[in-house]
Amino acid sequence: MQLSSLRAIGISKSFGAVAVLDRVDLAVHPGETYALLGPSGCGKSTLLRVMAGFETADEGRVELAGRVVRRPSPERGMVAQAGTLFPWLSLRDNLAFGPRESGRGDTEEIVAGLLEATGLTEFADALPRQLSGGMRQRAAIAQVLANAPPVLLLDEPFGALDAQTRLRMHEWLRSVLAARETTTLLVTHDVDEALLLADRLGLLSARPARLVEEIPVPFGGARGRHTLSDPAFVRMKAQILDRVMVA
Amino acid sequence: MPVLTDLAALANAERADLPPARVLSRGRRRWRRALGVVVPLLLLGGWALASGLVWISPGLLPAPWTVAEAGRDFFFGERRTTLAGVVAFDGAGWGHVGASIFRCLVSFSLAVVVGISVGLALGLSRWVADFFDPVLNALRAVPLYAWLPISLVWFGIGEGAARALIFIGALWPVLIATADSVARVPRAHIETARMLGTPRQRLWRRVYVPSALPEIVTGLRLSLTLAWMCVIVGELTGTSTGVGAMMNAARETGRIEEIVVGMFVFAVVGYGADLVLRMLTRRWVRWADT
Repeated sequence: MQLSSLRAIGISKSFGAVAVLDRVDLAVHPGETYALLGPSGCGKSTLLRVMAGFETADEGRVELAGRVVRRPSPERGMVAQAGTLFPWLSLRDNLAFGPRESGRGDTEEIVAGLLEATGLTEFADALPRQLSGGMRQRAAIAQVLANAPPVLLLDEPFGALDAQTRLRMHEWLRSVLAARETTTLLVTHDVDEALLLADRLGLLSARPARLVEEIPVPFGGARGRHTLSDPAFVRMKAQILDRVMVA
Repeated sequence: MPVLTDLAALANAERADLPPARVLSRGRRRWRRALGVVVPLLLLGGWALASGLVWISPGLLPAPWTVAEAGRDFFFGERRTTLAGVVAFDGAGWGHVGASIFRCLVSFSLAVVVGISVGLALGLSRWVADFFDPVLNALRAVPLYAWLPISLVWFGIGEGAARALIFIGALWPVLIATADSVARVPRAHIETARMLGTPRQRLWRRVYVPSALPEIVTGLRLSLTLAWMCVIVGELTGTSTGVGAMMNAARETGRIEEIVVGMFVFAVVGYGADLVLRMLTRRWVRWADT
């Protein structure tokens, strides 16, 4: 898989009289995981939806590996908090949806690999409603990864899960992203999640959102539940929370 | 794809969060099915008691045993030759039921094809909905009996008018269920399919129809019930076969027990048809079971 950069260039977006995004510039480097933080309702999800092609920017453009992109496509896979699984399909058919749409002959192998990677092989024939919240979100991410997208867009993917499950999911996702080197843009309001998963953080201001600061995350590759008690992690979390509160 | 997390431990931890499977034991399932027989038996007992004690005049409602005898004659009696245009009763039961079912199925099938096609067009396109909604809603409000005279003018006395009336009666539930459910398909499903590579022209097949199926199936069930109910109206248009035609002939000659036999036939066949439809469509709507 070729690594791709993702850029938002001067993105502005309004809904009626409400200006949500104000000339946002953002660049996610190839293979990087970038987390967007900001006050509630500042427009983080709107920016992600513009990047996915679900919303059209009033001004500005989105570039993937230097190409302007406008519509949704399998090369930018997005997972939302509510999950994206089709409730009428079994887990196996959900994972096979993308590869089948693109007419790939190796769908069975892709699905088997993803089921194994998500630990859901024995639930392959279950319907989404028969899975737990954590399983559903892993499956939703696997559904998107089945198309091997160079870019992954995650909109608070674990926001609906309890704290313990969320932590397990962070560890799982970190290992998945490390293995695939996918360029990832993560929107979250959870500073722990951002610091555990991202290589870099971007802070958005209150609405209309602008990118006010970018912060590199210095914790290296081996992050997990032990990192949460690291004094440097605790200090950084407090600093970021302060900045988000005043943003 | 190698992953570093201990997935077995993760899956084990998640097992506790799995939604409970709501499976009834075989004994409880049988018991709950048996409950459905209780009310009909009570009604039958009450009817027999009221007839036996002559609380009800046989001229208004014959006793159950009189109706049972008529039913026996209807299905197993000796078939007598009748004049052309005269509706037979003895031994003619299977022929009448078959004619009614055939008439109903032909019109119902046509209503399903038209209803789902038009419903899809209305649900998929706001423009089409805005254009046709007022006309369709106005037509829907016309009572079935109001269609009777014009059906006779257009299709003549007999089969054509009967089929047209059944078609009109069966059309609306499936059409409205399809249009409504397709229009309310969650946007997230459509966006996910687009993001996974489904082209716009294939969305109806991959997302809209499967997502809307549970409500479409409910519309189908209502349509089938209405089609079956409209059979009797359709068979008032001068057909010489069919349960409705038999009941109409019995009304003209005052044979109430034959009318009640016809009502039982309608109830049993209608109930059976709904069971068959539910069985055939169960696989499509399994995901929507709560």
